[in-house]
Amino acid sequence: MTELRELARRLLSEGTVNAVLGWEEGPRGARPAFVTTPEGADTLIFDHRCVHNLASYLSPRRPHLKRLGKVAMVLKPCDARAVAGLIRETQIPRDKVVLIGVRCGGVITDPDSTAPLTEATVADRCRGCPDREGHLADHTVGTAGPGFAGPSKRAQKIEELAAAPAEKRWAFWQSELEKCVRCHACRQVCPMCYCDRCLADKTQPRWIESSPHARGNMAWHVARAMHLAGRCVDCGECERVCPEGIPLGLITRKIAQVVSERYDFRPSDDPAVPAPVGTYRMDDPQEFIL
Amino acid sequence: MSTTTFIRTEDLKGLVADLRAAGIGVAGPARTSDGAVDYRSINAFDDVVLDGQPRNSLKQFFLPPTEPLFKYQRKGSDVAILEISTTFPPRVILGARPCDAAAVDVLDKVMNWDYTDEPWFGRRAATTIVTFACPGGDRSCFCTSVGLAPDATRGSDLLLAPAGDGYVVEIVTEKGQALVTANAKRFGAGAGVEATQAYRDKARASVEGHVPARPDVIRAWVDAHFEDPFWAEISLRCHGCGGCAAACPTCHCFDIVDEPETLTEGTRRRNWDTCQTSVFTAHASGHNPRNDQCGRCRQRVNHKFAIYPARFNDILCTGCGRCARTCPAGQDVTEILTRIVAMATGQGGAA
Amino acid sequence: MDATTPAVAGGFEPRITAFVCNWCTYTGADLAGTSRLQMASNVRIIRLPCTGRIDPMFITKAFERGADGIIVSGCHPADCHYNAGNYHARRRFAIFRELMDFLGVDTGRITFSWVSASEGGKWRDVVNDAVTRVRALGPFTDYRKLVVDPVATATGVVPPEHVGKEVPA
Repeated sequence: MTELRELARRLLSEGTVNAVLGWEEGPRGARPAFVTTPEGADTLIFDHRCVHNLASYLSPRRPHLKRLGKVAMVLKPCDARAVAGLIRETQIPRDKVVLIGVRCGGVITDPDSTAPLTEATVADRCRGCPDREGHLADHTVGTAGPGFAGPSKRAQKIEELAAAPAEKRWAFWQSELEKCVRCHACRQVCPMCYCDRCLADKTQPRWIESSPHARGNMAWHVARAMHLAGRCVDCGECERVCPEGIPLGLITRKIAQVVSERYDFRPSDDPAVPAPVGTYRMDDPQEFIL
Repeated sequence: MSTTTFIRTEDLKGLVADLRAAGIGVAGPARTSDGAVDYRSINAFDDVVLDGQPRNSLKQFFLPPTEPLFKYQRKGSDVAILEISTTFPPRVILGARPCDAAAVDVLDKVMNWDYTDEPWFGRRAATTIVTFACPGGDRSCFCTSVGLAPDATRGSDLLLAPAGDGYVVEIVTEKGQALVTANAKRFGAGAGVEATQAYRDKARASVEGHVPARPDVIRAWVDAHFEDPFWAEISLRCHGCGGCAAACPTCHCFDIVDEPETLTEGTRRRNWDTCQTSVFTAHASGHNPRNDQCGRCRQRVNHKFAIYPARFNDILCTGCGRCARTCPAGQDVTEILTRIVAMATGQGGAA
Repeated sequence: MDATTPAVAGGFEPRITAFVCNWCTYTGADLAGTSRLQMASNVRIIRLPCTGRIDPMFITKAFERGADGIIVSGCHPADCHYNAGNYHARRRFAIFRELMDFLGVDTGRITFSWVSASEGGKWRDVVNDAVTRVRALGPFTDYRKLVVDPVATATGVVPPEHVGKEVPA
């Protein structure tokens, strides 16, 4: 933590950046912080409660954040995949952000929790995560725990669902999706959902019904999954923030599996690796086409 | 009207069974499929989970996330409107939290302001709210700072507080009296209100001091600081997701949409909406008068603590703390209000 | 059984929406017509410039509005009028098909095919296969009944659209 604060203080006092995006102790627990003065650097923290993916704040379509000017962002290895995604999709120029990598051995699910990081409390997405540091970082600080072994619980749930008859899957998803109130928190926190005007907000034509009934919810979650296919960085934010507790990660993970199996693509922290949807191979498998 | 009676826990179980047998719907805080607690229909009192604040408020019972207003059918050049009934069968909500019950009463004012909202009052008339005095909250609770309390009766028809082998029942309204009268065999003599005092004091102590109880000071500061840099500062972490508004017992904005189902038929529905999104204020021209998150964060505080008080002499907040608990980025209303009071009383400024 | 005749007189006849590309399948379907090939009449064709233009939202919208089955068809690989539209579509629909399967939609309702301008006969076969399959699956009421009838809603104890299955009968 001292190393992180020292670095942030130096970047701010030397004028390399105008602000540092990191984490601080909030009233309920760890939360995103926006440090703009060298003295403020002492409020920065990093521990297993720092679950938020701060890359969402780099979106060029957030005018109030853009006013901060050049920023440095504290970056977990998984967050590096999101930043790589934004660079890959030409949303942010690499030289306009300083990346302070923190070594990470896993986080818990709830930033407000006081639970220690254990096999029982670790966030599901951290199970089997091989990355201890992000390769995209300009500076890397801290030390990392050993990490946690896979497989994740949701991988098991996906297998269980896949093995069930289609009617069971339909019933499961209807019981989950009908809880959705369409607050669109899943979209707002997603670092890869950066459109100026979302398809779901467009009315001419209205492709996705705005009503939070099961039919509108189905259209929304299908669209969300398709738009994130091969782009989802598995930060788990959508599922964490869902106020109704819908297991959205199951859908994005399922699609990630499909993309990985069919197109040998995994979310990468290398912006030069092309995303699988938006490119193609002449010999892509097409067993499902008559 | 404030008379009291008593109900034993056994009789409470019997009351739920009696109501269900009579075809009256009963809802209360119960376990959801993912292990959380939320208000939903129950079949027995044993389903009720009293520890932990329900995930959503009671708002959904009176203003559902989506509801049809009418159906339409085009016939040649005419349009036929199929009305949807705004009378509802009776139901009882058992185990409401005082902050959630109060919110319904707060909202009655706006729902009966420029016109009477028929679906809202249809559901209000059909519903008897039986509130359980709150056992106490966490650090995001601040009902006592907005004129309420863990044992406030506002919005409730009956208020129950535990004592001995049952609950002391405060009869707050005529609707509450009617429920007691109709099920008289379940109620009887027992401990008096004084037996619940220790419980009430403990609950109050757990929520006090999180926000200075100075709504007048907050209102005056918010009114006078529309352009204050404070708003820009707090808006930095806001994602504009509207999770706070969805969880809020008093956020009541809605959007109205026509949804065609075939070429000639469709439904006009109203859906929850929130001032935290950019499309909320977007004009058809493309102009957006509230075009960044700074203005949206201000609007949320402004509407609750200045605009609604100016129009209805009531605070559009019951201190339930759900917005702080649900915020994915740790935005905390108790912190915001505390800082406003500090700034207004000269004990601090925008950092 | 022949797909061109209903299973039972007055029985269920599926409505199938076909999204086809202008350059190959639409012309192929035209050829099937001008060649007077016999095929089921359950398919409504929507012509688009390219399979690359077919957004998965078109398919969910068709289901919303009452389609029982979907056909997506365009140029064979290497034949795309725009060089690569069908390659992009192939990846998109491979993923979409797996997504629908995961959400519990019977993928028998969604047919993908490559039909060239000269393959009138293949179009007839694709249509007849799809109709036979969807006829056996029955109407896609699962999707249509996702919105609870408003009159039923008004009698619910708890708004059924919110808590759905947990409402007592």
